[in-house]
Amino acid sequence: MKVAVIQFPGSNCEHETLVAARSAGLEGEIFRWNRPAEELCDFDGYMIPGGFSYQDRLRAGAIASKEPVMETLKEEAGEGKPVLGICNGFQILVESGMLPGLDGVDAALAQNVMVTKGEIVRRGFYCAWTTLRHDAVAGRCSGSYLIEKGSLIDMPMAHAEGNLVTADENLIEKLNEENQVVFRYCDTGGETGNEFPVNVNGSVENIAGICNPEGNVLGMMPHPERSSFAWQLPFVDPAARRQIDTPGPGRLIFESMRRYIEVSR
Amino acid sequence: MRIIGHPDQEVETNLRGAGIGLTVSEARSIADILGRDPTLPELFNYDTMWSEHCSYKSSRATLQEFLHTTGPNVVQGPEEDAGIVAIDDTWCVVIAHESHNHPSQILPNEGAATGIGGIVRDVNCMGAKVVATADPLRFGDPNGPDANHVRWVAEGVVDGIWQYGNALGVPVMAGDVVFDDSFDTNCLVNVVAIGVVKRDEIIKSKAPPGAGEKGYDVILIGKPTDSSGFGGVTFASEALRAEDEDANRGAIQIPDPFLKNDLFKANQDLFEMTRSEGITIGFKDLGGGGFTCASSEMGASAGYGMDLDLDLVHRAGDLPPEVIGCAETQERFLLICPPEMTPRALKIYNEDWDLPNVYESARASVVGKMTTNGRYITRHKGRETCNVPIEHLTGGIRYQREEKPRKMHHMEPAIEVPQDLSQVLLRVLASPNTSSREHVYRYYDTEVQGNSVIRPGEADAGLIAPVRGERFGIALSVDSNPFYGRISPYWAGATAVAEAMRNVASIGAVPWTMTDCLNFGNPEKPEAFWEFREAVRGLSDAAKALWLKGHQDAPVPIVSGNVSFYNESPKGTVDPSPVIACVGLIDDVGDAVTMNLKEPGNNIFLIGPRFDELGGSDYYRTVCGATGANVPKVRFDQERKMIHTTIDSIAWGFVVSAHDISNGGLGATAAEMALTGKADLGMVLALDRAGSSRLGTDRLIFSESSGFLLECRAGAEEDLAGLMKERGLDLMRLGAVKDAPELVMTRKDKKVVCLDLEAARKAWTGGLVEAMR
Repeated sequence: MKVAVIQFPGSNCEHETLVAARSAGLEGEIFRWNRPAEELCDFDGYMIPGGFSYQDRLRAGAIASKEPVMETLKEEAGEGKPVLGICNGFQILVESGMLPGLDGVDAALAQNVMVTKGEIVRRGFYCAWTTLRHDAVAGRCSGSYLIEKGSLIDMPMAHAEGNLVTADENLIEKLNEENQVVFRYCDTGGETGNEFPVNVNGSVENIAGICNPEGNVLGMMPHPERSSFAWQLPFVDPAARRQIDTPGPGRLIFESMRRYIEVSR
Repeated sequence: MRIIGHPDQEVETNLRGAGIGLTVSEARSIADILGRDPTLPELFNYDTMWSEHCSYKSSRATLQEFLHTTGPNVVQGPEEDAGIVAIDDTWCVVIAHESHNHPSQILPNEGAATGIGGIVRDVNCMGAKVVATADPLRFGDPNGPDANHVRWVAEGVVDGIWQYGNALGVPVMAGDVVFDDSFDTNCLVNVVAIGVVKRDEIIKSKAPPGAGEKGYDVILIGKPTDSSGFGGVTFASEALRAEDEDANRGAIQIPDPFLKNDLFKANQDLFEMTRSEGITIGFKDLGGGGFTCASSEMGASAGYGMDLDLDLVHRAGDLPPEVIGCAETQERFLLICPPEMTPRALKIYNEDWDLPNVYESARASVVGKMTTNGRYITRHKGRETCNVPIEHLTGGIRYQREEKPRKMHHMEPAIEVPQDLSQVLLRVLASPNTSSREHVYRYYDTEVQGNSVIRPGEADAGLIAPVRGERFGIALSVDSNPFYGRISPYWAGATAVAEAMRNVASIGAVPWTMTDCLNFGNPEKPEAFWEFREAVRGLSDAAKALWLKGHQDAPVPIVSGNVSFYNESPKGTVDPSPVIACVGLIDDVGDAVTMNLKEPGNNIFLIGPRFDELGGSDYYRTVCGATGANVPKVRFDQERKMIHTTIDSIAWGFVVSAHDISNGGLGATAAEMALTGKADLGMVLALDRAGSSRLGTDRLIFSESSGFLLECRAGAEEDLAGLMKERGLDLMRLGAVKDAPELVMTRKDKKVVCLDLEAARKAWTGGLVEAMR
């Protein structure tokens, strides 16, 4: 099982994403954007890592989404192969129309707007550990295939534009109806209060990650690769930190993709 | 330019008219060596290379007199772009420290971003992977007469740092922000970068052996040269004047993290190719002084000459030769390699990583050859524009500046012990300098690369595990207190070293190396030069007395640094600011501790008694706006014992949380331990044993004398006490962790402080938001 971590100019999380994928038992390599796109077909799954592809020119993810390699990726995803977009990777998937994957490009990831008690307290870039609630059922989505509904998973977010907004208000309803909302920001008890810092970036209904209707393409703002080893967690018990290979909660995302590849082959 | 045989006044007029900062006598000495009038490009080259920024002409003698740059762990001292110390037999840590003060005052966003851009290049060009940065920042009084401007500068600087650093993908692991009215018109933006490299894979920033004899190619890589930053080092070597602001703006460089990101990946491929084929190259970044500085230093340090064709330099438009030479266009590197490697090197940059399509006109270009004649020659449009002895150009000049102690009249304020010390502690916690730095560090991506173990806000130092599969960790911390510097530059230097070391010791790491960034006023003024020398003497004494753990009498080496003079404007000079960055080493990141309270019932101990040392304290500033006179001193023997014993007590598992005492004294230190993390545990502390019974309670709580608060693992109390006794330290039990969200302090069984943690958290996290709003 071999995955391609697709690297655009400006990507900056490709190495740790590959390390996390390997820790989950996947093989893989970094795939530079200007390689012949058809070589992408040789892989069983795909990851688009975080970063600032093409400097966020125009809009985050906008330029990368037009690269030839993305056309091939769409075709491969159409075959049912799994795709995971993290942070800027999520932004690229939304810009390309692969997410939410309903007719036309209907959503965007806008600037973070943090609201407490009805007041804007902050905007823009924010980096913090968050708790995510998994709102899809196990098996629904390639990147959370092994995760039970309602499970809580800790991982950090670090972005300036992760605020999911839609022009069409009905879209969110539709996403809910189609069970496309995979992750929501919540507190440590699993409650999805709508105010900062629980809703860390102002996203509609605390949405942190969504999948396409088929479930094989997942985009999420927080970073599972930064939470794939126990020693990466803040305030972790030193005993856990000493075991260098003890998995962190984020590894479930990569193990899920592996399982998805196994069962879909 | 006509110099020989022309009167001083005419030469002076000509130099200033051309925008050259050289003095008349400096210009004459150049003409003497050349035996003719120098050309305009030659004068610009000399102006650049002999500037304070490039030549350290005022500071070098003092640095050589005082600083300890060697040691058992030093692989490379301050002679190249970055210093290098060994971690173990295989791995090394690379560190560099710079200032970007003047540009950040004029254009905060671009100035600060360029600071990061430059420092990461310094580390990367040694063949290292850049794994962390730290940002010590100094801004003016956010509530003073220049408040609006100060806040504009502060916001712009923080934006510049995150916009550049986050995009590049290097985590910010440490830093500090201090507000002080001496920075009203002169902010300080220092930046530290660290990297890791294998010892046998270090790349030198000089021409390799044989380069001259075999005519190695000189290759310029990166962004097309433009006129940005032309005159940058000269601008950095003068005081700021408001009327020059428009002209100075042009001397500021334009950084580009996106191009840098691509370049770093290409560099990595270049390094791997040369390693696998056993080829030795020279590789250097272009920073202050631009192409002229990088090329001439690479040639001169290997004893060769160079013949460079400026027409081959890829550039944005038609530029005069002095601009091509001295502009400080960002995101460029210089490579010296054997000609047979050249086509493959060009392919890595121009095809594999596609520079020309990633950024308009960026690429790698062959621009000249190495020679053996010791001459620095440049050609432009068929003419020879420069032909000078290369070592004369790079050798610079030395000045022995005069020093004279600054007359100071600092006095202790007369204060009665306040009635409501809880309220005072709340105000100190909310003060611009003691409040939580969270508002700023949440802008920084502290997680990128996935190596972070302890992040800003969790302990006194950041910690990363930078090599996957290895267990060692690198800790990073910075420190300098300008208010101490105002009272005593010597003790400012010594306390900066001691506190930076205490910070890394608080997580259990051994202070392993340091860098210094020395920010002072105009060295031509004897008082400012005296401040500089005093601070260097203080930090040097501390580095020696607080020796490398396990190597008695070997000072903790200072392997890299920077001197920034002329931090003054007509409104005055900055408080003396010797900023220290300390790198700590821990064998196993699993042994590191954070500062948040761990377990109800655990005992809290103090080492380091409280003294009447509130000069420069946050308490004085908060209650009466005074600076005071009794600056905290470093009791060298006691300090070393405290630092080394704290490290051991963490390594042996006796201590589960530690926090060093600094801003806001014991009171703020205790509150911070309770407010970090979940903040659901409190403390009850009896102050009676914290210092002399004659000290006022306010002084016990707020004295900034050095020390540590330690939370002891249940059952390890006797082990800890035994260890401290053996090391000659007085371990004072102050109290215990309590399962309630409040901080209580007593004296003679009377409650003197009772602080609700929810109120404390509000004050503590709100202070910086308020100061930067």
